[in-house]
Amino acid sequence: MIGLYAVVIGAPRGALGARGEPVRIIIRGGLEAVCGEPPPPLSPEALRAHEAAVRRIADEAQACLPARFGASAANENDLLQALGAREQELLAALELVRGREQMNMRVHGAAAAPAPAGGPGTRYLEGRRRATRLPELDPLRSSLSAVVRAERVEPHEEAGLIASVYHLIDRGASADYRRAVENAALEGVRLSLSGPWPPWSFAPELSP
Amino acid sequence: MRKPPRTPAQEIIAHADSSLLEIIDLVLNKGVTLQGEVILGVAGVDLIYLRLNALLCAADKVLPPGGRK
Repeated sequence: MIGLYAVVIGAPRGALGARGEPVRIIIRGGLEAVCGEPPPPLSPEALRAHEAAVRRIADEAQACLPARFGASAANENDLLQALGAREQELLAALELVRGREQMNMRVHGAAAAPAPAGGPGTRYLEGRRRATRLPELDPLRSSLSAVVRAERVEPHEEAGLIASVYHLIDRGASADYRRAVENAALEGVRLSLSGPWPPWSFAPELSP
Repeated sequence: MRKPPRTPAQEIIAHADSSLLEIIDLVLNKGVTLQGEVILGVAGVDLIYLRLNALLCAADKVLPPGGRK
């Protein structure tokens, strides 16, 4: 079995995997799969090691789509087939993340209640629209527009946590990003940031 | 009443610090089939949304059936 760390363009030579093993690059068309030993059993150390290995690879590659912990293929043929079947999708995703990295933003607060107009269906749809569009962040979006290249919103329905927002930024722009967020005046929400990270949230699922 | 023993995944989450929670969110989120969803608060750390079953499933996925040593 082969473990998968990432699908990249411009794979680094001599990178090390999560357990210090030299990685192996398996090429299919324009895709380079960075592979290593089969994934170990789940543990905090294994998760951190996987993240660290992906980070080392992402730092050196031109474009990197991280593979989640546990992603693996039975053998090289299976992996080549899986890559071939999704080549166009993966190449498009690689173009989006080329030279970029990701910031995580957790949005805390109470979600604004949708206007009570219309029937239950309309209210439901309006609630859904607000949850994925997150208009609470609009004042911030204008000041981030020079830095943010793409956004993904993951709405949460739990008290206190409205959403996780993942922003794709140019590599090296995290200080500008943090400054813009810190200077934004937002009403009713509190933000916490982490990053930069490899662009995990902009990678299509790579697990078979 | 005795509590049922916690699974390895629950143990990991229960003891995770904020950096590990961020890693779990990125490294496992939507990793595989999703079912249960949980919110976790760790003392002094922001709430982070986790999908517990993603963690469990990813653990199961690491080794194929019959492939466990």
